[in-house]
Amino acid sequence: MAPSTRARRTTFDEVMEGAFRLAGEDRDRPMRLDLSIDLPGVLRPWSDTEGALTGHVRVPGWADDHSAAGRLRVAPLTARRIRYTMDFTGRDGRRLHLDGWKSIDPRRPVRSMTTLPVTVTGEDGTVAGEGLLRFDLRRDLARFIAGARFPGPDPMRSRWRGQAGRLEVWYTTLTDPVTGTGFWLHHELLAPAGGEARSHGWATVFPPGERPVLARFGPYGWDRPEAGFLAGPVAHVGDRLTGTAGTIAWSLRETGGGEPVHTFPRWAWESELLPAAQIVPRPSAVYDGVVRFGDRVLELDGAPGASARIYGHGNARRWAWLHADLGGGDVCEIVAAVSTRPGLNRLPPLPLVRLRVDGEDLATGDPLLAARRLKADIGLPAWTVRGRIGDRALLVEVTQHPEETVAVDYADPDGAPAVCHNSERADVRIVLARRAGRGWETEREWRLDGTGHAEVGLR
Amino acid sequence: MNAMTGAVATLLGIEDAADLARVAAGAEAIADSLPAPARLGLRTGAGTLDVLARLTTGHALDGLDAAGRDAFCARVAARPSTARMAEMMKIPLLLAAGTELLPAPPPPHGLARPDPELDCAPAAEWPGCTTADAVVIGSGAGGAMAARTLARRGMSVVVLEEGRRFTSRDFRGRPPLDRFLGLYRDGGATFALGRPPVLLPEGRAVGGTTVVNSGTCYRTPEHVLRRWAEAGAPVEGFGDRLDEVEATLRVAPQPMGQLGRNGLLALAGAERLGWRAAPLRRNAPGCVGSAQCAVGCPHNAKYGVHLNALPQACEAGARIVTEATAERILVERGTATGVRARRPDGTFLEILAPRIVVAAGTTRTPLLLRRSGLGGHPELGRGMAVHPATNLAGRFAEPVVSWSGVMQSVGIEELHADGILIEATATPPGMSSFPLPGLGRSLRRELAGADRLAVLGAMIADAPSGRVHGARHRALIRYDLAREDAARLRRALVAMGRVLFAAGAEEVLTGLARKPAVRDEAELTRAAAMAAPADLHLAAFHPTGTAKLGADRARTPVDPAGRLRGVRGVHVADASVLPSCPGVNPQLTIMAMALAIADGIG
Repeated sequence: MAPSTRARRTTFDEVMEGAFRLAGEDRDRPMRLDLSIDLPGVLRPWSDTEGALTGHVRVPGWADDHSAAGRLRVAPLTARRIRYTMDFTGRDGRRLHLDGWKSIDPRRPVRSMTTLPVTVTGEDGTVAGEGLLRFDLRRDLARFIAGARFPGPDPMRSRWRGQAGRLEVWYTTLTDPVTGTGFWLHHELLAPAGGEARSHGWATVFPPGERPVLARFGPYGWDRPEAGFLAGPVAHVGDRLTGTAGTIAWSLRETGGGEPVHTFPRWAWESELLPAAQIVPRPSAVYDGVVRFGDRVLELDGAPGASARIYGHGNARRWAWLHADLGGGDVCEIVAAVSTRPGLNRLPPLPLVRLRVDGEDLATGDPLLAARRLKADIGLPAWTVRGRIGDRALLVEVTQHPEETVAVDYADPDGAPAVCHNSERADVRIVLARRAGRGWETEREWRLDGTGHAEVGLR
Repeated sequence: MNAMTGAVATLLGIEDAADLARVAAGAEAIADSLPAPARLGLRTGAGTLDVLARLTTGHALDGLDAAGRDAFCARVAARPSTARMAEMMKIPLLLAAGTELLPAPPPPHGLARPDPELDCAPAAEWPGCTTADAVVIGSGAGGAMAARTLARRGMSVVVLEEGRRFTSRDFRGRPPLDRFLGLYRDGGATFALGRPPVLLPEGRAVGGTTVVNSGTCYRTPEHVLRRWAEAGAPVEGFGDRLDEVEATLRVAPQPMGQLGRNGLLALAGAERLGWRAAPLRRNAPGCVGSAQCAVGCPHNAKYGVHLNALPQACEAGARIVTEATAERILVERGTATGVRARRPDGTFLEILAPRIVVAAGTTRTPLLLRRSGLGGHPELGRGMAVHPATNLAGRFAEPVVSWSGVMQSVGIEELHADGILIEATATPPGMSSFPLPGLGRSLRRELAGADRLAVLGAMIADAPSGRVHGARHRALIRYDLAREDAARLRRALVAMGRVLFAAGAEEVLTGLARKPAVRDEAELTRAAAMAAPADLHLAAFHPTGTAKLGADRARTPVDPAGRLRGVRGVHVADASVLPSCPGVNPQLTIMAMALAIADGIG
């Protein structure tokens, strides 16, 4: 059974130290495991769950591998066992396998929960050594508990569960800081109202001062990959983005990203109650790699950008979107949209704004409630969002130069068309003001000159 | 001098101070290897005798002179209660006296075969966390066959053995008593409680009891197989499996050359009576007749599984962990996932495996299953059959030297249809287990004339009236001799006496306290008829049937394929699965049954 897309996970770090004796030696060496653990579901005492384990194995003079990886099974009551298995590389380049488990003894719960005997074997199964590790309660318990997290499910994992009439998007935008070139990758899963689901998308390069270069890929079938997007030669799985579309080919590695930005309320993303919702799982990521378009090559080294996701019943009736990287992990994310639903389609655009400044997200609270105090004026080549955000006033002005904007035809699951005008070369001005006496005083102002990522969708 | 030394000096009539010191030290060594209750019993017995001596003579035992001790012995023998206590103490003390009072074994010959390669690792050197395809608990007759079968199928197999590995070196350089104490659980003093209490010796070594059995190999009788087939046991093709086991063990009739006088006299006696008798079929190719089967063959001639099935299993990749006591089978949601075993230093090792084969022995298997929370079946541990056995010695005019020759040499099957099997069974040199009559100096005289004794043993097919209690590590075994079995044992005594008299015995020592010696058959018949069950000196061998296999869910804890009911992944493949008493020495039967069960493990 596939894990629910709604389930939370449990992540924590664990440090275990002890003695290790190599086969054939008569002295102990110190051993230390620094492990990061990611388990599906919220860990409970009666859980029986298995998840990924990564970390650092250190036995001085014998092994020092930062990229050890393996599995952890936690079943303290059902199987009375917490089992660690992982593979790592010894100093001499030998691949080694560690296997060990805590055997939970109800009469000695603390001791048995903190003692881990391990056996390390070579690839041929011969025992390379044996260790006895302990979790130091006095030193590490507080850190262990404080470090435990229960994040939601992997937001990059597809949410589609086979329903008809759904649209799911993985998109990435970035700007090359050296040349100012923008790059847009749009991966889409379309489950039409009738017929087979298909995946397709496009890539667009925005060289400064030139017409954007767009190339489409797909359609391909959809094999419900375990993680991310995978269709034909195109993939966005884990930290890798690769693919070819027409004359464009890319191979990128994504690092960092920060905490997800919930442009739409978290509940809307998780419950799927709204017609559609967007989140930005990696709002301030960095990209390295190569993009080839035509006979040109774009070498990326630390290009800032973001990966975002959309899931819902289709595109909005009208919408505007902005992703502005403000530097230092700060971002401004805006989605202003008019619903296609009868009744709602008569309302003005609803601007959902998230402004992350110095690690704090404004507006605090539910973005949908905050949207009541904001107003969007959608148009081309310029559009604005203004209003109040908490006790501050906000003004966002976006200009998409027509020569650096690409128009892409969209199709909803029901077949209705839309046109998206997108530019990764937008100019953006963001002003945050606070009250001073009877007027307003500018608190912060950002200007992005051709590095804003924006689009306007019209029908 | 303490009470034990005094008891040794008095009951065995030892006067030489150096002899006394050595025997007393031996007695202390035996006491130390006994389980706590037996140790307490032995020490209490010695203390009681000392107190009695102080009360009746005014002196401690060690303060009496030789005549005073004789008088004291006479007083002890005169009262049934004290006589019984002295008789109980005599057996361990006689064992302790060993080579001080009896001739030592001659220096060993060359080896019949070298010690084989065995992939053995002591538990102390075995990693705490390992995995395998199958874990076999116990390396005896059943476990060895299961391990070999699974390993040959390409599985990674780990065999857990509570005892240690003994090689021919251990058997060649040490006196029989030392070997005896090391090779048997509880120093050989495992008792089944009941009236009378029954001695139930069990081997504890790599190879299990096959290291210390007499090597007698009987095929499972046809009538037993028919009965088992009705119970649903997998006995189809059992003959082929017995053939395979016989080939593994190289079973052959014992050649007459090494039989020894003890066996020859049994043959002669049976022939004069017109009874069916023959040298036994044994798994001892190259036996030179040193009569030391019960304490480990110093020539590697007795071909136990430690010399064949286990090396073959290791050749196929199996590994043996010695000195590892299985603590419990690990179970998750009704499926076995591994075994937790205790090392001698009290730490634990765990082996995860999806297949667990329990072959811990008839008295241990129920305990292990209960410790593991798998002992829920009401019939587990109940209905244990043993072969209750007793023995009889005939005194001949000429030396017999029973400890020279094959230990168990000749089978007399005349009464086998009635469940009585007589086997000429001697005791290893330097050991005495036959309850020689008398106390003090009269016992010494008996010992001095022990070379003129021929010894026969008889075992009977009993009603399954034993039960193994306990859920921890110590089995509490209860065995109540059924009334008809007591009658059968009396009949066996008389039958053995007839053989001995027919062979020319001057008198027969009965082991019965009321009539220790008889001079003719009529006297023996009377003495046997007079003997209460509690007076019989009983040992029991071949315990079987504590986790019976069969089709009836309610009555058998193990299904016909050897799977323990109520859990997935646990098979039982030792003597405990036998549906009833096999009526013969069960080595071949256990191995063939284990073979059948192991063949069915997926």
